[in-house]
Order: sequence, then C-alpha cells, then structure tokens
Amino acid sequence: MVFPTLQFVLFFALVLALDAAAGGRAQLRKAMLIAASYAFYAAWDARFLLLMAFVTAVAWGAGLALHHPRHGRRAKLVAIVLLIGTLAVFKYFNFFLLSLQQLLGEWGLARDWGWMRLILPVGISFYVFQAVSYVMDVARGQILPRRSPADVALYISFFPQLVAGPIVRAADFLPQIDRPLPVDAAMRAEAVALILAGLFKKMVVANYLAVGLVDPAFAFPGAQSGLTMAAAVLAYAVQIYCDFSGYSDIAIGLALLLGYRFARNFDQPYRATSLRGFWRRWHISLSSWIRDYLYIPLGGSRGGPLRQGAVLMATMTLAGLWHGAGWNFLIWGAAHGAGLWAERRLGGRPALPAPAAAALVLALVCLLWIPFRAPDLGTAAAAFAALLRTEASAPVALAPPLLALIAAGLAMNWLPLAWRRPAVGLLARAPSPVQAAVLAAGTLAAFAAAQEGVAPFIYFQF
Amino acid sequence: MKGRRAPLSFLATLAAALALAWAFSGERFLDWAFTMPDLGPVDDVILAALVAAEEAKAAAGLPDLFGALRGALHRWTGLG
Repeated sequence: MVFPTLQFVLFFALVLALDAAAGGRAQLRKAMLIAASYAFYAAWDARFLLLMAFVTAVAWGAGLALHHPRHGRRAKLVAIVLLIGTLAVFKYFNFFLLSLQQLLGEWGLARDWGWMRLILPVGISFYVFQAVSYVMDVARGQILPRRSPADVALYISFFPQLVAGPIVRAADFLPQIDRPLPVDAAMRAEAVALILAGLFKKMVVANYLAVGLVDPAFAFPGAQSGLTMAAAVLAYAVQIYCDFSGYSDIAIGLALLLGYRFARNFDQPYRATSLRGFWRRWHISLSSWIRDYLYIPLGGSRGGPLRQGAVLMATMTLAGLWHGAGWNFLIWGAAHGAGLWAERRLGGRPALPAPAAAALVLALVCLLWIPFRAPDLGTAAAAFAALLRTEASAPVALAPPLLALIAAGLAMNWLPLAWRRPAVGLLARAPSPVQAAVLAAGTLAAFAAAQEGVAPFIYFQF
Repeated sequence: MKGRRAPLSFLATLAAALALAWAFSGERFLDWAFTMPDLGPVDDVILAALVAAEEAKAAAGLPDLFGALRGALHRWTGLG
C-alpha cells in the first residue's frame, strides 16, 4: 500500500477514526495501531508478517536478556547477529546465488536455481535498523528494556515510517507511546503542510521528472548530448530528493496526526557547502544511525589519518552496499567516503565563498548519483561519456515544464524555510474543519495533477 | 485527554470531503475497488454495495468534476 493512493487514503481515514474512538484508552490505542500497521504491511505480502514478528521478538527478548549479569553480552551479540544476518540473507542471497550459478556455468556445471531466489521484503532494512537501535540503546543504558512486547511491536511496525523510514530511535519513540502528544491545532497545521508538501514532491515533481526525462535518458545514454545528460542527472538529483524527502514528509505528517513527533529527515541537502554538510542534511535518520552504530564503533575519528580514512571508507562503502549488492553502489559509497576523507584532510582549504562551495558540492553529488541511478557500470560509463558529447542522435526533449520542475526542486533546497511559517501559522489559527478542507483539497489537487498509475517510492527497494 | 485526539469536526470534514470526492469523480472508486485483493467472504458484499451506489450516482447524473480538474491542470501545466 503506497501513500499516494486512494487505497491508503481510505485506510488512513479509518485509522484516524479508530484512533479517535479509542480515545484515552492507551492499551486499546496501542493494539489498534499495531493491528493497523500489520494490515498495512500485509497489503504487500502477508507472508512477511512473520518476519516482522520475528524481528520484533528478537529485539524484545534481547532487551530483557541484556541486563542479565552473565548472559547480557551474549544476548546482545546473538540479537545483532540474528538481526543483521536476517537482513543480509534477504538482501544479498540472490546476488551470491547468481554469482555461483554463473561460476558453475563457466565450469560447464550450469544449474537452474531460480526457484531459490528470495523476495526482498519491502522496508526490511528500516525495521531491522530500528530493532538494532532498540537493542543497542538498551545495551548502552540509554533506555530501559520494555516488558511489554506490544511496546516493541508498535515501535518496530508503526506504519507511517515502516517501509522507508525515517528510522526512529527507540529513545525518541518509546516515551511517546507512554505519553502521546496532544494533537492540537498547531500540530494538525504542521501535519497538513507536511503531507501536502510530500504529495506535491512525490506525485508531481519526482514522478514527472522520472518519466519525462530521467528514465528515457538513462535508458539510452549513448543517444544523449552533454546538455541533455547533464539535465537528466540534475533531474535525477531533484527526483530522488523529492521522492525520498516527500515520503519522509508524508510519514512525519501522518505520525503527527496520530500524536507522534519524528525529527526531520532532510534539511535542504543541496544547499550544503561541504560533503560532510550534505550527509548531515541528507537522510538524517540513516546518516546518524550509521554514525552511531557503525562509524563510531569502528573507531570513528580516533587514531591517525590513515586509520581515520580507513574507517571512513569502510563505513561509506558499507553504506553504499546497503543499497544493494552491486559495483555501482560500492563505487557510489566509496567515492563519497574518499570525498569526505579528502575534505577532512584539506581542512576547509581552499576557502570558497558559500555559493561557489554549494555549487561545487552539488556538482559532485550529482556526478556521484550517476552510478547510483544507472542499472549497471556500462550504463554509468555511457552516461559519463555522454556528458562530454556535443552531438546527440536521439536526445530526450527538454520540455519547459520539466525544466520548471527541476527549478522547483532546487528552489525547495535553496529558499529559506521561513517562507513557509506564515502559511502554517495561518493554518494553525484556522478552525479544524478548515484544516481538514485544506488537506482534502490539496490531496485532491495532487491526485489530479499526477500521472495515471502508481509509481513506487525509490527507497522501497532498499 | 480531550485535546489528544483529532477533533470530530476534523474527521467529519475529511469524511465529507471523501464522500464529495467519490460523488464527483466518475467511476474511479469503482475501478479501484476492482483492483483490490480479494477480501474473501466480504468481497462480494462490498462490491455489490459499491456497484449499487455507483448506479445511483450515475442515475443522478453527477458530473466528473475530478476528471475536468485533472484535464485542466494537465493542459495548464503542460504535464500529463
């Protein structure tokens, strides 16, 4: 079930009504939200409900066992191995199976093992990362373990952020289960603004750029000129930003309507003046998860320059490989790692004016999106080659509406956020039926402006 | 606890908006209903109710305002 669909609109309307009916009965409300979250997940594939329940059971059980005087450390190790192992099996088994098949084929021992291929459960990374966060935070004494499995089940399965984040920390979410925020007019106004912004980003900007420019250019990079390929790469930068931050905006807005507040997941990343700044603004919940549970445990910024570089490269390469088993993701992650390390070694030299630095970082980030977007290294190489070409045999048309969407996507990054405040403030002072009418009218307008059909969010595949 | 839940007026307005959207959106809800997974024993009941409601809507001759809005937006923006 994808957010911008009629199916989800009806589902959420029902959840909101049931939430209101549950009133202050905390246990009933918790049970209803868990049931809704499992129903939401079952809409993709009900078989994987067992997997989510397994992940929940591991995290909950480990949480209780962690403070055992003799077996606490072992419980943590077993839980992390089980959780990361489960994720690794689903994400990388097919890659190893295919590689083994190819190897056997070269030796004349070809086998058809297609029946062994695993389906990648949607959102598995996100709920496994949340489970790891729970186990680690309990182990570090940052939160107390939950006796009730329902608390952990709701934390791991909460449907607004279940399939593509933001990755919410247990320390941030669990206290909200105990004391949900009162949904006042200001929260509703903020939620309406976030949901409508997210729908516009996804249904209008991201989807039209994908179909009109990015997909055709990356399908035939050899037929593009430097100008059209550069426009397609910039369009992809805008598309992935609007797709992913749009999902996050909707998720945060939906959670707000239910009384849960999540931190912002994107902070105008394309206005960053350094790669380090970019990673502090892009997919903030994953970047901080990687920092806290991978980069710092690996050594962080301790040790000499070589050790620091090795840790940074390892972290970013693993972050790249998290997106999928392939050379393109490995190169993307390693290149970002190398860039971050070079930036650290240079120590801010040469000092560039902020606009020039932001343009340089944007150009670098866009170039690195090429291997990320390309389905294979051959396509990525062809796209890089196209950037240097002046002639095109079959260029994608750079239609003015598409260029306007690219400009709109960049403007979202560069305009000061303060311009939104008066509109949200006005909405906060409006009566609740007006707030609902704005939400309904805006949603209807986004559905009307969108293309036919449903385009899944890019990050669902990860 | 009073302020913790979305006020009923917020929910009621959303429900009314949904009903209006259904009334003035042609057969889109029906199309969507037929793409839903089979809900087992209640599937036929839901579809029969929806078809009856759609027939009543067609008899009332309600215009497809959503389709008109969609066409206008696509013409105006050059997208679609």
